[in-house]
Amino acid sequence: MTPKTLPSLIAVIDVGTAKTVSLVGQMIAGQARMLSFSERPTKGVVKGVVTDLEQLHACVHEVVHDVERGAGRSVDQVYLSLGGPAAEGERVKGLVMVPARDGKVTQKDLQEAVASARRQEPPAGRTTILYMRQPTMLDGKPVASPVGMTGRRLEVSFWRVTMEEALVRLRVGMINGMSIRVRDFILSSHAAACAAAQDADKHGGVLVIDMGAGTTDWILYYKDHILCAGSLPLGGEHLTNDLSVALRVSRETAEDIKCRFGSGVHREADLNQTIWKDGDRGLGDQQFNRGTITKVLSLRYQETLDLVRKDVMRHLEGIFPGHGVRLDQHMLPSGVILTGGSANLADACEAVQQSLGLTARVGAPVFDSESLRKPEYAGVVGLMRAAITDAPPAARRPRGLWDQIRVLFRF
Amino acid sequence: MERTPSILLLGLGGAGCSMVSRLSSGLTSEVGALFVDTDERSLPAGRVTLQLGRQQTRGMGTGGEVGSGLAAAESEEAALRRALAGAHVVVLVTGLGGGTGSGAAPFIAACASDTGATVLCFATMPFSHEGERRQREADQAATVLAGRCHGFIAVHNDLLLQQVPADAPMPDAFAAADAWVGGAIRGIAAAFAPGALVSADPSALRSILSTRGSPTLCAFGAGEGQGAAMKAARAAADCPLAHGPGAVTKVASLFVHVSGGLELTSTDAFEAVAAVRAKFGGETSTVLCARTDPALAGRAEVSVLGASLPVPRAPAKGRKGAKSGKGDESQTVFPFATDEAVRRGFFGGAPLTIVDGQDIDVPTYIRRAVRLPSGY
Repeated sequence: MTPKTLPSLIAVIDVGTAKTVSLVGQMIAGQARMLSFSERPTKGVVKGVVTDLEQLHACVHEVVHDVERGAGRSVDQVYLSLGGPAAEGERVKGLVMVPARDGKVTQKDLQEAVASARRQEPPAGRTTILYMRQPTMLDGKPVASPVGMTGRRLEVSFWRVTMEEALVRLRVGMINGMSIRVRDFILSSHAAACAAAQDADKHGGVLVIDMGAGTTDWILYYKDHILCAGSLPLGGEHLTNDLSVALRVSRETAEDIKCRFGSGVHREADLNQTIWKDGDRGLGDQQFNRGTITKVLSLRYQETLDLVRKDVMRHLEGIFPGHGVRLDQHMLPSGVILTGGSANLADACEAVQQSLGLTARVGAPVFDSESLRKPEYAGVVGLMRAAITDAPPAARRPRGLWDQIRVLFRF
Repeated sequence: MERTPSILLLGLGGAGCSMVSRLSSGLTSEVGALFVDTDERSLPAGRVTLQLGRQQTRGMGTGGEVGSGLAAAESEEAALRRALAGAHVVVLVTGLGGGTGSGAAPFIAACASDTGATVLCFATMPFSHEGERRQREADQAATVLAGRCHGFIAVHNDLLLQQVPADAPMPDAFAAADAWVGGAIRGIAAAFAPGALVSADPSALRSILSTRGSPTLCAFGAGEGQGAAMKAARAAADCPLAHGPGAVTKVASLFVHVSGGLELTSTDAFEAVAAVRAKFGGETSTVLCARTDPALAGRAEVSVLGASLPVPRAPAKGRKGAKSGKGDESQTVFPFATDEAVRRGFFGGAPLTIVDGQDIDVPTYIRRAVRLPSGY
């Protein structure tokens, strides 16, 4: 499948813990236009794990039906986002000692290096869902295009994402059940970054944290490339749950209070504020100390950020062992970009500043539809963007050896 | 050997010595204090002291080097064994993360346990602001140390300091932290002293803390006025020492010490013990000690020690139900809900998610034992 045969109708589906969204667009004169959009609350997924396949299937079916009706055409293939703790990433490397006497790198050397990286089998029972390019190194220095340059050690590396085969089959089977083909997988954190981060951010270095309802996915870009990515089984639902336990209120009430009075930072002044649950002061209305609310939420929010930092550091130490890498403004000049529903929490950026010591901003996608310019839609908008540009080579799954080589030189 | 079982309070390293010197003034004469450090300056004058590693460190600290802390202790092995001989219970108080504490404490614990003493260790963990390296070294030392002590209690200073009002001056904050540890030690010491109404001996303590290497439950609470013993028991159930990271809240065997003024009645004492058991378990065995002390007029103190053998859930529930709903009563009174379904909220039925050994579905404020602002 080459970019030339890209269908004019592009459909993406993002199944989250809280909501399932789908977007259908079309390339008209080289410009992407949104045709239809559908959003439904997800059923049958807890903390990013499918617990009730039947319910989930019904929900995805409804969403697809909605977008097809909106677009006036049936969808025959989709891009599907995958993420969550089930999708594990690791770095795979391929190394070739340049055989030519003059040390000139040939295309064959590059092929060999790529092939040797690809030869590494994923762990038993897991399947590779995508490879993302990392810089090619020639004698330890990053080079954009090594062919024709001289050196001795040619090293290519990929960020490989694997997932349990059964889980992938489950998702693909669900889509295939509607006579729709899964054209490709896109890592959900990469999708969020496509919508929220600019090229300049990725060039300097940026950490995108996509905190959804059930999972928090993060991805780190450094010098234009994906350095590493990961995910935690924690999200906005945990904020709501903590609040519902602490205030002894229902899940719905806790969610409402979180959105209206929540904050990522606890301040002394909050202790002097009292809030009403319903606000009508009618029968059954309850008063709460805002200090309690912000204390509970800030503890959970900052703990989640702390766990993200630990996860990032664990990956970085694996990539640069013994270098003493520090997650600071020097490494990430663009700081942190927050996406996902939990980025709407008040003072979220300040909490990041406090926990990670990095500047932060909320990444709302730039998009022609105003209703989608919210951080919770960064995932689906980014998915569309990645699909339209046929996904940057990084996010494409190289299928055959030639596909990989083509991918290697397409930027 | 003396008739009264002797207890040796051993302060090791800078943090341990300063804590023991703050604690030892409030303790009875049965408790001996020994100060051990490499740094000459932290050894108080006029007390029983032992300086480690004069050759290695020339009277200075170890500068945070774990290896040099261990070498210093090994060089003074003979003197250490002499000092430890004869003690029935050795309470080792130290701060982990530095050189002397992390390096020498496991060695000293092994020496003390060789002499036949029951070794109980209170180790303060570094503040979270002290950086990852100290934290990592402290965690490693804690794992080794816990394997060599009969009882190991990690004291998270971060947590203890959160229990005091934000505007409390520094000495008050540390005094509050000391009160928890000191109270627990005082409880153990008093239990063995002559004159107890219900007494225990170190072998009873040993029987509770028989398994080494598992985290130990330790709690202390004080109350005063009407129903002082019950208030103390509730305070103990609420004690931050028992709710820190990795702490256990349900144990098979308990050691409970209740002390109060002369007005303490047996009903009060047993109700307090029942409340403690409802909170912490102690289904297999509960060693009970009680004493009255004129100095405690109008006040009561409860200290609890327990080993972390897990209580099988189902039988524990059945037995609690049979006990006239005492367990249910505690549910509404104590801010720390014990029932897993209550703690996990609407994730109650979902599979556990364990990160760094913690079930992260349980609200952060419960796991960190953070007291929420009360009142509206």
